[in-house]
Amino acid sequence: MIKNNAVSQIVITGGKGGVGKSTVAILLANQLSTYQKVILVDVDVECPNDYLLLDQTLAKTPNKKIYAKFPVLDKDKCLRCGLCAQKCRFNAIFAPKDKYPIFLHQLCSNCGLCWNLCPAKAIKIKSKITGKIYQNQINTNLYLVTGQTVGIVDETGPLVRQTKKYALDLATKLNVKTVLIDTAPGTHCNVINALLDADHSFAVTEPTPLGAHDLKLILKLNQELKIPTQIILNQSDLGNQKLIQTVAHHFKTDIIHQIPYSKEIVTAYSRGKLNHLTLNGYV
Amino acid sequence: MVMSNFNLVIASGKGGVGKSMLSATLAHYFAKKYRLVAVDADVDTPNLDLWLGGIKHWDQINKISVSQQAFATNKACPDCQNCADICQFGALTLKNDHLHINPFLCEGCGACQELCPSGTIKMKKVIAGQIKIKNNVSGFPLVSAQLYPGQTGSGKIVDRLKQISHKFNRQLTIIDSPAGTSCPVIAALNDANFALLITEPTPTGFSDLKRVLTVVKFFKIPWALVVNKWDINPRQTQTITTWSKHHFLGQIGYDQNIFKAIADLKPIYKTNLPVKQEIKTIYSKLLKRLPVNFH
Repeated sequence: MIKNNAVSQIVITGGKGGVGKSTVAILLANQLSTYQKVILVDVDVECPNDYLLLDQTLAKTPNKKIYAKFPVLDKDKCLRCGLCAQKCRFNAIFAPKDKYPIFLHQLCSNCGLCWNLCPAKAIKIKSKITGKIYQNQINTNLYLVTGQTVGIVDETGPLVRQTKKYALDLATKLNVKTVLIDTAPGTHCNVINALLDADHSFAVTEPTPLGAHDLKLILKLNQELKIPTQIILNQSDLGNQKLIQTVAHHFKTDIIHQIPYSKEIVTAYSRGKLNHLTLNGYV
Repeated sequence: MVMSNFNLVIASGKGGVGKSMLSATLAHYFAKKYRLVAVDADVDTPNLDLWLGGIKHWDQINKISVSQQAFATNKACPDCQNCADICQFGALTLKNDHLHINPFLCEGCGACQELCPSGTIKMKKVIAGQIKIKNNVSGFPLVSAQLYPGQTGSGKIVDRLKQISHKFNRQLTIIDSPAGTSCPVIAALNDANFALLITEPTPTGFSDLKRVLTVVKFFKIPWALVVNKWDINPRQTQTITTWSKHHFLGQIGYDQNIFKAIADLKPIYKTNLPVKQEIKTIYSKLLKRLPVNFH
């Protein structure tokens, strides 16, 4: 569990990509930071973007490096029994009959089954960097924590958890009461890890069948995770709002905020300068 | 080389930049001359069917299991902590002899079961989602899936979709990749013959393009680039096209009517919007780039 009872974790998600998750997360963070300390956490570790939208760069040296364990073979000890390849459930070990196994690190989930199981103790552990965590200060009250994968990483859930943990530790240190967590699109492990332990969530969507379809999936997920979720409808004056209202009704939640198409936001977005925009004015 | 089962993957890194729109419309043009099958590899949030006009009745819907999950049995737990220590996903907690396994975190690796000395943990098959097949959508089959929310294993489902699509034995497989760069994207790109990347002229679009390109280059896949909404920031478009050199293939203009068309589930190829002609031009250029003889 990654939880600190003194800090509320609010997650901004949505299912579909490109609907405005990061924009909403930043506008909300900007607004909250006018009267309290806030940490914005970008856990779209595969494609983190919040720093680009806040006119920031990531430092040459990260604040923290994240490592994962990978198997490497000690040929002198290997019995070529093939047990490791047979037991690996991620097809990450390839062992032709009577030959030495080959480890495919890009498919490896770092689960440790192979080196724990090897009867000859022929599998050594090699730590490889899989992620970096960066910390930026945006203004007096607003901090940004960014998680980013390094190289080809199959399993990104653990890095999401580490990034959240870093942000919660920072919250304790700086006496911050609210962290806003901006997720990747989709519903799989990277998003699940972002949502776990959340106090509240906002699902950002757009008024199209695509937005409605993906919204249903994320609301279903949050129902199972028991996270209260409300909807924020972006580009609300384009498309067909009824589609989203129907989904909201079905899941017994509401659309708490609508953001009409805004040239100002689009321009600021495309220049990477959302620093001074808030949700105000659209409420 | 005469083509069969040629894998063309459409990817972007960033979500919502036009992958599915491009995949659906390209499939329509390819299908006029070639035998193809379309695969929606965005198994979390599949939308390709919607860009093809929406599918009311699928010809086949089958539940799919791609992995197992750990479950605690009634057998007494010796409280050795082996399982909790080895789990890399933080899915197991052991307190006062009581084993709790968080199903949302379990990746099904089986390490806990293998190391449990007392057989307290068993692995059980879980249904991760369903696979859906439509035999004929505008002249070609569509192979799609839906990962159930809360389940893991999207990469393995993508592998399965590709296996199924190859049974159709078509010249071309058009694979619409999910956003991001991890397991389902790696699975989509794994044995691709060509990657068509799409981006938008924003700092985020460009950054995410470079990130997915690391996967494309890792697998040594030839690639080409399309810039969507090029006119929302012509200067950034210029930067991207210059950067991409000979990989640049074409561009699509921003048009709010695209948003309105999809809101009514109207496929691009059934509209008269400029984007239709723009993608047709991209199609013609792409044909010349693909490293195979289509004829």
